[in-house]
Amino acid sequence: MRLNKDHNLSGTLIVVEGIDGSGKSTQLALLRDWLTSVLGDIIFTEWNSSKLISETIKEAKKKNILSPRTFSLLHAIDFADRLEQIIVPPLKAGFIVLADRYVYTAFARDVARGVDPNWVRNMYGFSVKPDLSLYFKVPVKTSLDRICLNREPKFYEAGMDLHLSNDIYESYKLFQGKVITEYDRMVDEFGLIQINAGETIHNQQLLFRDIVRKKLSEKGIKV
Amino acid sequence: MSILNPKTKHGHPGLLIVIEGTDGSGRSSQINKLREWLAIESYGVMVSEWKTSRLIGRVIDKAKEQNLLNANTFSLMYAADFADRLEHNIIPALRAGLIVLTDRYTYTAFARDVVRGVSPVWVRKLYDFAPTPDLVFYLQTPVDILLKRIISTSGLDYFESGRDIGLSTDFYESFKIYQSRITEEYTKMSSEYDFITLNGNDNIDAIQTAMRENIKALLNTGIIK
Repeated sequence: MRLNKDHNLSGTLIVVEGIDGSGKSTQLALLRDWLTSVLGDIIFTEWNSSKLISETIKEAKKKNILSPRTFSLLHAIDFADRLEQIIVPPLKAGFIVLADRYVYTAFARDVARGVDPNWVRNMYGFSVKPDLSLYFKVPVKTSLDRICLNREPKFYEAGMDLHLSNDIYESYKLFQGKVITEYDRMVDEFGLIQINAGETIHNQQLLFRDIVRKKLSEKGIKV
Repeated sequence: MSILNPKTKHGHPGLLIVIEGTDGSGRSSQINKLREWLAIESYGVMVSEWKTSRLIGRVIDKAKEQNLLNANTFSLMYAADFADRLEHNIIPALRAGLIVLTDRYTYTAFARDVVRGVSPVWVRKLYDFAPTPDLVFYLQTPVDILLKRIISTSGLDYFESGRDIGLSTDFYESFKIYQSRITEEYTKMSSEYDFITLNGNDNIDAIQTAMRENIKALLNTGIIK
């Protein structure tokens, strides 16, 4: 499977992972600003954003009509489309591509929903192996507090489809707890670099930039 | 699973019968006749057709119109359509003890996707959640016959002709190459999955009679109540 092999493309693929409220998007935005100021154009893509199907997914989520299986398949479609249209061409052309969530999001969420781990790994087997995958680890309580600053948890995000609890906050904690367990498992399996998302934004970013600088210098890119 | 039925291949109380074959092979006329016959014989019947899920059927049509799909995306979209129909239509009907007739099944995906360059192992694993059918009828029709049938009815379609994979810029040639490759894949699968292969060039009634004989033989074993 391509996912398990180095990609040999001239570009660099950097992905961030972690549950909602882990601060990964904030960290990626800061990294992007920095890289753009030093290197110019940087390509960015995020989970569930393809023109092809992201609207269909959002509609289906609103209606709560997805099973764990169809939830998983629809996100794979979104990913496959972005991989071919947005991620691979710039990697071939030598760009740095930043992805807010990658296949590990599916491995964590779908398996937490009861989908077979081997099935979902096989399904995403065509994806490109990232040069760097950072996992922003945060306690579920912190994640919930951060989300609740502006909204309540969403149906699928809280795993309400699994009927773990009728209380959406309680369900969120139970479900995202399972997602964290899956992420933790993948640290060794896929070599995810774990960052303590309880640190200050500034300290996390300094660490993130160090890691990226090192990786880019291996490829002969100075930043 | 509510009630186990050790006699069916999938363990549900109902019966799952699949009709496979390329476009123009006469699948839907056969299914219509089977449905009528089984109803007269007092069996509850449900038909499920490829790419008809409420979830994503129309999205696929739209994407195909715009020619937007690469091989993996194409494959995953059909798998999502299939999974949705399976969960909402096929499995509930099997649980209720109906005879489910499906116009195409996973084998269509195995044939098409592999011809489009997807790994055979990958696509088989992708569909490994599909219940095993009790009977699979494969209507095998020579490509030159298919060509005549399709040209005289619906006309050559972009995807049915495999134009998306750039086999030839000539529609007629492209159709021939594409459908021959699909047929090759079906032939490979026929022993892998115990297809009952029927000559799609025979007349409609002869094919129907052969299907009914196979189904009757199975029903006579008392496979469903």
